[in-house]
Amino acid sequence: MTSILTRYVARALLAPVLIVSVGILVKGYADVGDGFAAGVVAALALLLQYVAFGTDAVEHALPIRWAPGIAIAGLAIAVLVFAVPMAFGEPPLEHAPPAGEEPVHLGSLELITAVVFDVGVFLLVIGAVGTIIGSLVDPDREAP
Amino acid sequence: MSASAIAAVAVAAVAFVATWAAWAAGGFAVDVPWAPAWDLRLSLELDGLGLLYALLAAGVGVLVFAYASAYVPRHLAHEGRPRREEARLHGAMALFLVSMLGLVLARDLVLLFVFWDLTAIASWLLIGFDRANRSARLSALMALLVTTITAVLLLVAILVLRAEYGTTQIDELIAVARPGWAVALAGALIAAAALAKSAQAPLHFWLPRAMAAPTPVSAYLHSAAMVAAGVFLVSRAHPLLALEPALLDGLLAIGLLSIAVGGLLALWATDLKRLLAYSTVSQYGYVVVMLGVGGAAGAAGACLYVLAHALAKSALFMTAGAVTEATGRRELPRLGGLARRMPLLAAGSGAAVATLAALPLTLGFFKDELFFHAAAERGTWLAVAAVASAALTLAYLGRFWGGVFLGRSDAEVRPVPRRLVWPVVALGTLVVAGGIAPGPFAALAEDGAAVTAGGPAPVDVAYHLDGRTENVMALAAWLAGALLLVARPRLQGALSALARAGEAVGPERVYTASLAGLNALSNRIHDVEVRDLRARIAAVLVPASALIALGVVLTPTGGTYAVGPVELEDLPLVLVLAVGALAALATTRPRRHLRLALALSAVGFSLAVVYALLGGADIALVAVLVETLFALLFVGVFSLIPARELRREARRRSTGRTRARNLVIAATSGVVTTLVAWGAFSRPIPDDPAAERYLALADDAHGKDVVTVILADFRGLDTLVEITVVLVAAIAVATLLHGRFRA
Repeated sequence: MTSILTRYVARALLAPVLIVSVGILVKGYADVGDGFAAGVVAALALLLQYVAFGTDAVEHALPIRWAPGIAIAGLAIAVLVFAVPMAFGEPPLEHAPPAGEEPVHLGSLELITAVVFDVGVFLLVIGAVGTIIGSLVDPDREAP
Repeated sequence: MSASAIAAVAVAAVAFVATWAAWAAGGFAVDVPWAPAWDLRLSLELDGLGLLYALLAAGVGVLVFAYASAYVPRHLAHEGRPRREEARLHGAMALFLVSMLGLVLARDLVLLFVFWDLTAIASWLLIGFDRANRSARLSALMALLVTTITAVLLLVAILVLRAEYGTTQIDELIAVARPGWAVALAGALIAAAALAKSAQAPLHFWLPRAMAAPTPVSAYLHSAAMVAAGVFLVSRAHPLLALEPALLDGLLAIGLLSIAVGGLLALWATDLKRLLAYSTVSQYGYVVVMLGVGGAAGAAGACLYVLAHALAKSALFMTAGAVTEATGRRELPRLGGLARRMPLLAAGSGAAVATLAALPLTLGFFKDELFFHAAAERGTWLAVAAVASAALTLAYLGRFWGGVFLGRSDAEVRPVPRRLVWPVVALGTLVVAGGIAPGPFAALAEDGAAVTAGGPAPVDVAYHLDGRTENVMALAAWLAGALLLVARPRLQGALSALARAGEAVGPERVYTASLAGLNALSNRIHDVEVRDLRARIAAVLVPASALIALGVVLTPTGGTYAVGPVELEDLPLVLVLAVGALAALATTRPRRHLRLALALSAVGFSLAVVYALLGGADIALVAVLVETLFALLFVGVFSLIPARELRREARRRSTGRTRARNLVIAATSGVVTTLVAWGAFSRPIPDDPAAERYLALADDAHGKDVVTVILADFRGLDTLVEITVVLVAAIAVATLLHGRFRA
């Protein structure tokens, strides 16, 4: 069992770390960071929970069994961003809006399809790391 | 019928109707560039040749899938397997159908190659459907290896053609290609891949093995689909092959060899499905011979032959399955007299046999008429060979049908579902209809042949009651075939000797021996490399160091290995590097695992600080994150290992020899790495136009952080491939540790 300090810090950090990771994701185009970094930050939060509370508690509290699904969804989003332009006769992975056109702003956030691609990367990294951690910490458990 | 069976039949029926409708509406074409920089296009177009093979794949598909819906549940019940596994077979069948459609419609060779390999994968799933059965698994692997290793030849051919003519579009290639080494090489490679797929000698051995598959799979793959893909490719690329007459002569020789080998082994075989498999080898030999003859006559004959053969052969495979279901037997000597008990099946398969044996009033009569015509045009020797081939075909097919339906046996006949019989009857009716009114079939073959011949190729079919060459040849073939059938019992000894010789020194032995050899080699390398973790690391580090050292020695090093001045402002960098170096030295000391992991993290974190100081904020961020992740993972994994084990491992002392070896390996790789790093960093920085362009274009991509823009936009395809690798790695880890991936 980990010390009470570790557990307290792990619990207190979970929400802020997830918020930071989403921040890194959406601000990636203007500042340091991208979908991969954001995904790893979120995965770190998850890993810290495992180290602090153990497998059962984490799986009870967090939707860890969805991790493979999240990874597949992430890849699907990235593939969609890749493939959808082809339906409009553009080369694959052609991002919108095109160069020279001002994107829609939400505050300082710019709505461009490249960010959607990054969201796919983000989900994939969380899902893949979640899957790997879930398998590593409890390799013997029967799959449901 | 289960839902999956209905879905498979529906897919085939829709494909059939849609292909027909598209052709009636004047064709169909899609052309989407998917990698414009390489001029790769998703281009599909329906032409006469594509129509013929697509209608065959979809039309025979409807009947075979319907047959499978009744056959597979019984097959699973015999094997004591759950009925839901049926869906796997229907899914793979549908995948095969779709890949086949893509293959025949593809107008870009790279696209064609993709569908080519998809058919191989689907066939692997189908042939190995009885996965508890070792021989089925080995057969599936054999079919996969023979057809995909030769598929690499096809890819090489595509690259050769692209290098020479700058395009992979089939029509453009045919327009610009001229006789020469490129066409000769590419044509030979294409032909090799195609002939392996069509199970032509000497690569025919996978086909009889593939009979380990459930009967509907054989009925589909080995009549209208997989083996047909091979001759389809030759037909599609025929205008290229025809530029080099030697290639056509090669086709002729291989086709004749396959007719002889397949025909004689079919005359020898006693297992129903194996007999039919050898017959398929032989019958596709006919098609290859006609493609080798070439010209309008050869193309016309090949197309009508493929059409008639696919209809009849799928009927015969389904007959074999129904007979085995009814009697529980699959050996010719133990069967007989089924004509009275299963009259409909006897009639349907009788029509199919008559078609393949080219008797009048069947579609098959015309296929042999065209075959004889093409052969007689080429020369007397080929005409004689053609008559001998037809006689052989008549003999083994007569033996098949007579052995099953005539005579008598003690077999008990159980009733079989109607769906095991009516597809055979439908196909039998179709080939007889084709014999009475060949018009529509001839028109279909004519449109296909025009593509192969690169010009009009009339399929001129009618009954002529006169003494023309084709009729004389047909009469001679029937007579010789009948004699052969009567004389067969006397030939049994010679045929067995031939079959045994083939098993002893044939190509299958080469396949088995090379597979065993490769396996042994791989085991040896594995043993050397993976004896322990250190040996494995050494196996990477030492050769890599040697290669890199060689590179350092051979590369001109003017201007490098300089030592620049160290300014005061470099002090932070120097300090951090010193910390990193100390941490690296510290990793050699600890014996406890956790301390070692922490020392390693210290090295990584100091490097992250170096990146940050050098202005690589994004790289520093990722480095910090990955280091943290690894530190936590180490802690987590150590907590899973019993503390006792960890302590015992930590107390282990290595012997003097191991230590010396470790020292040498570490020193070598360290010195080489230092040399390279020093050389690379002290080198004058070259101008990198790509980097400049990235920076200039980042604004257009609405990005201020150029690293992110490169990852998500400029090099987005790379990122997509990389994250796919991440997902595959996650699946691999989960599968290895859990036995399954829970999505």
